[in-house]
Amino acid sequence: MTFLRKQNLCLWIVTAVLLIGALAGYAQTPAAAPAQTTPPPAQATPAPAQAAPAPAAPAGAGPAMDMPLDVKAAQAPSTDELAKGDPGGVKTGTVSDVVAADTKKGLTLADVVNQAGQNRIAINFVWTLITGFLVMFMQAGFAIVETGLTRAKSANHTMMMNFMVYGFGLFAFWVCGFALQMGGGAPYSTLGGANSLNSEFAVPALGKMWGLFGTHGFFLTQGGTYDVGVMVMFLFQMVFMDTALTIVTGACAERWKYIAFAVSSVFMGAITYPIFANWAWGGGWLSQLGANFSLGKGYCDFAGSGVVHAVGGLTALAVSMIIGPRIGKYNRDGRPNAIPGHDIVLVLTGCFILAFGWFGFNPGSTLAASGNGALRIGSIAVNTMLAGCTGSFGSVLYMWIRYGKPDASMAGNGLLAGLVAITAPSGFVSTVGAAIIGIIAGVLVCLSVEFIDRRLKVDDPVGAISVHGTCGLWGVLSVGLLADGTSNYGGSWNGVAGSVTGLFYGDASQLLAQLIGIGTLVGFVFSLSFVANSIIHLIVGQRVPAKDELAGLDIPEMGALCYPEFVLKEEEAMAAAGD
Amino acid sequence: MKFVGILLALAGWLLPVIGLTLTQSLGARFVLSGMGLAVSLVGILVVLNGAHLKEAIWKR
Repeated sequence: MTFLRKQNLCLWIVTAVLLIGALAGYAQTPAAAPAQTTPPPAQATPAPAQAAPAPAAPAGAGPAMDMPLDVKAAQAPSTDELAKGDPGGVKTGTVSDVVAADTKKGLTLADVVNQAGQNRIAINFVWTLITGFLVMFMQAGFAIVETGLTRAKSANHTMMMNFMVYGFGLFAFWVCGFALQMGGGAPYSTLGGANSLNSEFAVPALGKMWGLFGTHGFFLTQGGTYDVGVMVMFLFQMVFMDTALTIVTGACAERWKYIAFAVSSVFMGAITYPIFANWAWGGGWLSQLGANFSLGKGYCDFAGSGVVHAVGGLTALAVSMIIGPRIGKYNRDGRPNAIPGHDIVLVLTGCFILAFGWFGFNPGSTLAASGNGALRIGSIAVNTMLAGCTGSFGSVLYMWIRYGKPDASMAGNGLLAGLVAITAPSGFVSTVGAAIIGIIAGVLVCLSVEFIDRRLKVDDPVGAISVHGTCGLWGVLSVGLLADGTSNYGGSWNGVAGSVTGLFYGDASQLLAQLIGIGTLVGFVFSLSFVANSIIHLIVGQRVPAKDELAGLDIPEMGALCYPEFVLKEEEAMAAAGD
Repeated sequence: MKFVGILLALAGWLLPVIGLTLTQSLGARFVLSGMGLAVSLVGILVVLNGAHLKEAIWKR
């Protein structure tokens, strides 16, 4: 015991030193005045025509866009030279690769300017697509984290929920979810405009217009949305939506009827997620709190702590309440039993895959790598890795101090908690802010898991409600506290000029916008999910029969065991041991 | 009680939203937001969850 006390004392000291260091660094970070650090858009993004020299134009006149250019000075390599190969890469990609609209006339300034514009959009397309592919791969991470944290007897069922949620969600989002979410938010300048997404259904109330959902983009054809920019936007938004859906499968694992899961996922991908995402990202009323009510820059959620993670976490809470806990989770007196997962290797490998995918999630949310302040992607990526790191620090330290051992599954959840929390503020905070957000999330997730497990008696086998719900809400709140006012994404955010600035950097109204967003998540999103899933419960039933649950869901629900050569423990024996 | 819980959750959301038009004061809006969040949380975590716990599987 003495040893333990000494060990705990050491851990407390380490924690205190870390916190003091972080706070000291934070205190030294200068508060930036947005008006001074944020140049107006015209200065931030010079017009190509002004930047390009126009040697042939007479003094005082604009450049002759359609006159052939003298490109001899560019010294394009000859075909013979190129035929010898270019091992150094100095002859590939020259003036001869700029496409002339009229080959008889030759290259004009208009050709060069158009090429520059297309290159910028191409860079942004490729960036957004590749980061979207990274986010898609997070599905694999979620699948093995959730499967590892649940019992072997339902592993096939848990994997199949994670596998098919991709298909169910994608289908629902293609049919109507995307249109409801993004159908009224154009222009999206970094992707060439995507101007067909320009129809938002809004109602006048209380003296303002309240955008509720978009109306262009059903089936990606309606309303002129068969468009290259719209396609890129769809892919990126779709994988985000699917991340939210897969959160619910973890919280409801080991007792969720597969048909109910399918219907619930389609509803969430078609309605619940898109509605809130429209309000936050698609030009809806939350994003307009700044323009309409002078609340900062409106509700700000850079990559989705609220839109993706809190929506997923709160829906997980709603469905978990309806379904109820697994058999054997609670004794008759209400005391909880730990039901360990079957493979910690899967869990921690999955966490690494998720951390890797998060580099798509957050930096990709600029929807650009060129122009509009998108070079901040470096800062966003570093913030992301830092918060994940400090998140796992926080949870490991908490568990070590409280229980005497650094718990592996909570270390993984701490990493994810930090990543979830930094998702909303990643584009607006400094590295010190990111580290603070992460470490708080790491401790918060442990407290939340204990609260939900012991006080609320809601069974969440993987801790999804705490990781994504609680820490998602913390991430949203942290924007209102720690946004440092140095970001500049085209000179404005949500149509309000200037940078997103939190309470500690001088703008209290931003915190209020974030609180209203949190209130909407808790009050509206939870209620919508609860009512919809209660109706599904009445129609098809949400929970499997007790005998199926005791046997494990692989055979009753899926028809095949995940591990047919394993000898699994009898549930009755485990339940008896728990009692 | 489940119905009451959901009603409280929705009322807690609408309180600060409607409050935006009732007052221009930032402090008053903060108070309304805090109250709204508290009402929603009570509705969900206390009333609604309490109703579910009454028929919990481990009490049968």
